[in-house]
Amino acid sequence: MTEYVVRRLIHSVFIVWGCATLVFFLLRMVPGDPVVRMLGPEYTPEAAEALRRKLGLDEPIYVQYARWFGNVLTGDLGASVASGETVTGAIKSGLPKTLSITLVAFVFATVIALPTGIIAALRRNSWLDYGASFIAFFWVSMPSFWFGIVLILLFSVKLQWLPAIGYVELSKEGFWPWLQRLILPGLAVGAGYAAILMRFVRAGLLEVLGSDYIRTARAKGLHERSVILRHALRNALIPVVTVAGIQLALLLSGAVVTETVFSIRGLGRILVGAIFDRDYPMVQGIILLIAIIFVLANLIVDIIYTMLDPRIHYG
Amino acid sequence: MSRHTPIDWSVLSGPRVSRRTLMKLATATGAFGFAQRFAAMDAHAARGARSTRTRGRAQEPKQGGTLRVGFQISQIVTLDPGQVSQGLVAGSVLPVLFSSLVQFDEELGLIPDLAENWQVSPDGLEYTFTLREGLTFHNGDPLTSADLRYTYERTTDPAFASPHANKLELITSFETPDDRTVKITLGQPFAPFLAVACSRGPGRALTPISRRAIEEMGDQQFGMTPVGTGPFMIVPETAEIGRGFDLVPFEGWYGGRPYVDKIELRMVPEPSSAVSGLEAGDLDVIDPMPATAAQQLQGNPDVVIVQAPGTNWRGVAMNMNRPPWDNIEARMAVAKALDREDFVKRAFFGLADPAIGPIAPAFGWVYVPPDQAPPSPQAYNLEEAKALAEKAGLVGLKQVIISSEEIGLRPTEVLRSVLQEIGIDAQIDFQQGAVFTERWQTGDFDMFLHGSQVDADPDDGHWNFFHSTGPWNTYGYKSEKADELLEATRNTADPEERTRIYQELQAHLQTDVAMAFAYHVYDLLALHKDIQGYVPVPEQRYWETVWLDR
Repeated sequence: MTEYVVRRLIHSVFIVWGCATLVFFLLRMVPGDPVVRMLGPEYTPEAAEALRRKLGLDEPIYVQYARWFGNVLTGDLGASVASGETVTGAIKSGLPKTLSITLVAFVFATVIALPTGIIAALRRNSWLDYGASFIAFFWVSMPSFWFGIVLILLFSVKLQWLPAIGYVELSKEGFWPWLQRLILPGLAVGAGYAAILMRFVRAGLLEVLGSDYIRTARAKGLHERSVILRHALRNALIPVVTVAGIQLALLLSGAVVTETVFSIRGLGRILVGAIFDRDYPMVQGIILLIAIIFVLANLIVDIIYTMLDPRIHYG
Repeated sequence: MSRHTPIDWSVLSGPRVSRRTLMKLATATGAFGFAQRFAAMDAHAARGARSTRTRGRAQEPKQGGTLRVGFQISQIVTLDPGQVSQGLVAGSVLPVLFSSLVQFDEELGLIPDLAENWQVSPDGLEYTFTLREGLTFHNGDPLTSADLRYTYERTTDPAFASPHANKLELITSFETPDDRTVKITLGQPFAPFLAVACSRGPGRALTPISRRAIEEMGDQQFGMTPVGTGPFMIVPETAEIGRGFDLVPFEGWYGGRPYVDKIELRMVPEPSSAVSGLEAGDLDVIDPMPATAAQQLQGNPDVVIVQAPGTNWRGVAMNMNRPPWDNIEARMAVAKALDREDFVKRAFFGLADPAIGPIAPAFGWVYVPPDQAPPSPQAYNLEEAKALAEKAGLVGLKQVIISSEEIGLRPTEVLRSVLQEIGIDAQIDFQQGAVFTERWQTGDFDMFLHGSQVDADPDDGHWNFFHSTGPWNTYGYKSEKADELLEATRNTADPEERTRIYQELQAHLQTDVAMAFAYHVYDLLALHKDIQGYVPVPEQRYWETVWLDR
């Protein structure tokens, strides 16, 4: 197992390196020049030339790549060409916000998906099942930013229960003010995720409920609750965990748009702004981080498999 | 510059210069930006601008509370006055954080700020400022003439590369005979000097900054957490790029402690979020208010909308380096197809003025409203537009309109529908800022909504766009007559003559279809009704007079 994890980690390094390299070169193929953007109305060819030299953008692309990569290895992700803010500084300020939204969304999704999925499976083809399916399809079809706006209009503008915008730090303002501002974005991002999870819980459970060992468990005279929760659900969760890991992408990409609607400057909004600005170091740094998150999330999913299903062994 | 009338420049001496004097001098010496800025203020004052920068009102102001400002901007690049090039930052944030030598008063003349008085020599070359006693920076350091000299040297240092250094170009000597005296000598008279270089807000070039703070934190950090002399100071721990920062009153400000206990400046670039924030009570101010929000907010009894005439213009630039736009009939077809009244209703919900030319409504001394102006050859006439389009071969023509956030998708879509009416098959290529700027600056486009915005200097708004050598004339307009008239506006002394030339120029640009002129947007601000004492000046925000009636 340890050997497996080490091997996977080594693979991960190459995957992350590949991603970072790809982004580095792709960015430079996209039309648009950060220097033009930065100078704005003050643009003159001479000023552009001077600034390009100052930022090291006049050097051959392989020199820029080698220098950037060398710096990354020493932990220096560089600084924004637009604002001068260090990339690590931006990540330090943006990551907690994005993770907070993602966490709240994940909790919401799980809390909604597990019970509704189970009920839908147990009451298959009942109105409960159809109702849950309808809601799931509705949620998954809704763009999260639209749902976000609807939530704001309802809970902030009309009812004035929750703040419409902004973010406060957990360590500074405490738990409730922090959570208060994450409920709506969390719901907006989590709804689609919940819908997908719920469908997988339902499908997984239905499949498992028809298998021999469940019949055996019931034949042993086990309590139905125990059959469902201990025997069926645990096995039904294996595909759910896979999906949960892969769909982490959905949460993060949902956060990109949702952060804009709720005016929270998390990684998503920083990334989008940096792309607009052709802020190469910032885009590269954040993509690198996201690549790492993905690779690690997938690794964790694989490890969780072994815990859920003793049949799966890595060696 | 002045060839006819000898001018006694000492009328610019302090401690108070009326707006009338400034206007007269400015128009008499070719300082249009200056003149028009004041004219803009005049026009706005005429609309019943509330109140005053002085204290003492019918209702006794209340102390305390937090003012929460939502800025329609996604990023503040820097707060270092010498480097600020974002118009919204210069107008909305700098006057809050920084005092300067002089400032504008409620009559829109100049009154003392850090300088309690100043003298201008009769030949207009020597400016002598006397600083107030006991001035300090936010960090407690005393402010003396040496700090102004340091600011001057920093702004003009080529290595610092300040975009505002050009405003100090005419300075031949900068002396500090004692701690409270600053003596500046110019090589030639320059009427807008006090306003463009020495004023609170726009006068970024000489806005004093703390040398110790810069040396301690470095230029980069100073741009985020600057130390100045204004009525509010930044709380460094709260400053976060892309989010905003908190401001607290500066107890040591010479004008006394401002009313509110805190200002939370938050960047809220998404218009619908800002509107929700205001309606949900998370924000007190949206600066500037997006026109798309007008309808929703106008119906809200808790919101007051402050509106000032625009100092901007936009028109359809058609790339004359490409057919068919080298043909004047083709351009006239587009110009005549523009129903400008309808355009501003559809694109801006009426919160813009129809434009017949590049002279903006805020510049009262030279602007003539469309209904009082001589009829423009570009006036809306769909039948004629269709006939011209047919003749010029525009029917079925495929064109790409480039656009970006700064113009907005909505006006671009309205333009497309206008073009469709005369048979042009137009597509919109809505791009991100960097690509858009690069494309129009290098002339790589068919057409787009070109224009001057948030720029108080109309000489820029004319010269740069219509002179054959103008840096923003990338759409291929060349006219000897326009060049001559533009040069005349810079070299004529008589104000009435100058106004006449601008009118003649505008008529020429209409006939020539340099552009199909379209609209001027308003300067808009949305405030919660609890906010009292706000003094509205186009493009500038002063919060020290504001208090919360809660």
